Amino acid sequence: MSEPMIVLDRVSRSFGELCAVDDVSLEIGAGEFFSMLGPSGCGKTTTLRLIAGFEEPDVGRVMLAGEDVTLVSPRRRNVNMVFQDYALFPHMSVAENVEFGLRLRRVARDQARERVAEMLTVVQLEGLGQRRPAELSGGQRQRVALARALVNKPAALLLDEPLGALDLKLRREMQLELKRIQKTTGTTFVYVTHDQEEALTMSDRIAVMEGGIVQQLADPRTLYEQPRTAFVAGFIGTSNSIRLEVSRREGELAVMELDQGMRVVAPDPGGSAPRLRITVRPEKIRIGGSSNGAGSRIRGQVVERIYLGSLSQTVVEIATGERLVVHELNDDEAAAVAPGDQVTLSWAERHSLIVDSDDGPQREERS
Amino acid sequence: MESASLPLGRRHRGERRRSLLRPLAFMSLPMAILGLFFLAPMLVMLVIALQYGILSGQSGFTLTNFSDVLGDELYREVALTTVQIATAAMVIQLLLAVPLAYVLAFKAGRWEIPLLLFFVLADELNPMVRIYAWRMLLGREGLINSALLDIGLIEQPIDALLFSKFAVIVVLSTSYLTYTVIPIYAAMKAIDTNMFEAARDLGAGWWTTFRRVLLPLIAPGIFVALLLVYIPLFTDFASPALVGGTEGYMLGNAVNDLVLESGDLNGGAAMSMLMLLAAGVFAVIAYRLAKIKQLEQ
Ligand SMILES: Nc1ncnc2c1ncn2[C@@H]1O[C@H](COP(=O)(O)OP(=O)(O)OP(=O)(O)O)[C@@H](O)[C@H]1O
Ligand SMILES: [Mg+2]
Repeated sequence: MSEPMIVLDRVSRSFGELCAVDDVSLEIGAGEFFSMLGPSGCGKTTTLRLIAGFEEPDVGRVMLAGEDVTLVSPRRRNVNMVFQDYALFPHMSVAENVEFGLRLRRVARDQARERVAEMLTVVQLEGLGQRRPAELSGGQRQRVALARALVNKPAALLLDEPLGALDLKLRREMQLELKRIQKTTGTTFVYVTHDQEEALTMSDRIAVMEGGIVQQLADPRTLYEQPRTAFVAGFIGTSNSIRLEVSRREGELAVMELDQGMRVVAPDPGGSAPRLRITVRPEKIRIGGSSNGAGSRIRGQVVERIYLGSLSQTVVEIATGERLVVHELNDDEAAAVAPGDQVTLSWAERHSLIVDSDDGPQREERS
Repeated sequence: MESASLPLGRRHRGERRRSLLRPLAFMSLPMAILGLFFLAPMLVMLVIALQYGILSGQSGFTLTNFSDVLGDELYREVALTTVQIATAAMVIQLLLAVPLAYVLAFKAGRWEIPLLLFFVLADELNPMVRIYAWRMLLGREGLINSALLDIGLIEQPIDALLFSKFAVIVVLSTSYLTYTVIPIYAAMKAIDTNMFEAARDLGAGWWTTFRRVLLPLIAPGIFVALLLVYIPLFTDFASPALVGGTEGYMLGNAVNDLVLESGDLNGGAAMSMLMLLAAGVFAVIAYRLAKIKQLEQ
């Protein structure tokens, strides 16, 4: 990454006893689509407000385009925010809303008009400049909020669950739209959401947060395929988690033997933990599969089978009482099983993800 | 088919008439009460205002009461004083009420409801008691004068504190503060506070945020306050009578004196009618402005 646009350097912010943001460090590159993902109350909004300047960190530094802005007022920071409920000025027309920031920056009226018109074109609201926010649909209001922020050409745009108030179909449309606008303008986007699918489809990189801590910061693919903690594995996509005793270690592999020649094989994380928590994605598991071979094999009883259109979902209970979810494409090779059937599940060793070598969640290690 | 639809149509029309009559029937009792207790005295007043006074020795209807009042130089001066005092008191109240309402609406936290209650209760204080309290504060030997004398800021007590325009303005400004604060507070409560952060985010300081965001959004509340408060200020007579002296003499006192001192019931009635007309015109304008502001949002 070249010169990062935004740097949070060991930033913390507490409200009374509660540590809303706990020693967070991250770097966001220029032009990046960066998301913060996590459950309600994990500190996403607070982190965003720290960048915008509406919160001051108790400790740590906030840098913007190479400058320390920790104590700079939000008025003077070259970032703009899109609020969750838009916070449009109801007494101003769409054009006046968009013009607000420009006029305060002493942009000449003619030039401001021009930029407003340009921006309204970018967000596809040409011809609606004279309307009041109350006369717009939810999606249109969203676009006004976006235009109002982007017209100032901020170094970064901060978006706090900007699609939260829209219905699913409109959300999908606006996701693509946001991505398009981000590409057109080349602006750095910092995007807060608690919708993992949204984060996965839109982001260059995602910081998964929980309890004020960044659990993992990576690109979508890495987060999905190599979750570092059980929390990340569980939050991103569906996952199966089983905890097993290690029987022996064979070179790069850890082997966990079960009854009747069954076993789970996983890449050895190193160390000497007696128990490992292993995660397997539902689509990586085969029903049936070879009874000999290098991978994992485990027996269980089908408790549920659901038809999901392109997929079938099968829930299998294994000897430990844990349940595994299996997704199969509904093609010609799909196994014909029914609840009550005894089946063997198998998957390749590289699909066994070790997310935990002990019982507690791991913390993101820091430099 | 056709013959069947005819009586059906008729029945519908009958139903519609009944449904129009029903609200009228509902309203008839309150309307009657309103007519009896509110409009009737006004009508009586109008009739009195249009009749010759007993002292004039003439009888029948005339417009002389109105022309006398309108033609009197003194009353024109009193009217001017009244407008000055009422306007000054209104402006002062608005200047006090906007920050007070702001604190109540956004900053008071858990004190919001207690403070609101305090405002409502403060208004319940008997006006006479309140006015006498002000007399004790503002008088020649009042608290303010003695305090100023004590710290040596002045050598002679300031007489103009009491029995002056100033005194009336001070007393009136505090008399109706509750009615000024509450509508503005209500307008503020309806504002999404994210709006202030959005303004700041876009580069606005507190003054710009106040002028371009807060003020336009509370404008309807301000017009309601004007409507509620300016008219009683304009017609008030208790405060000027008790703290106004000759300088703070207002139209309300003029009516009072015409009726009770000079026994000119007809002249007093005429002046009241003119004040009512002025208040009505003012109310219509304020109402229009409030309406426009509301529609803009
Ligand atoms: N001004 C505040 N005063 C006290 N506590 C606060 C304040 N702001 C946030 N918190 C607390 O800090 C924690 C993190 O809040 P934050 O708003 O950052 O969560 P979030 O991840 O945005 O959640 P959500 O998805 O629900 O919006 C929460 O427990 C919240 O209650
Ligand atoms: Mg939030």
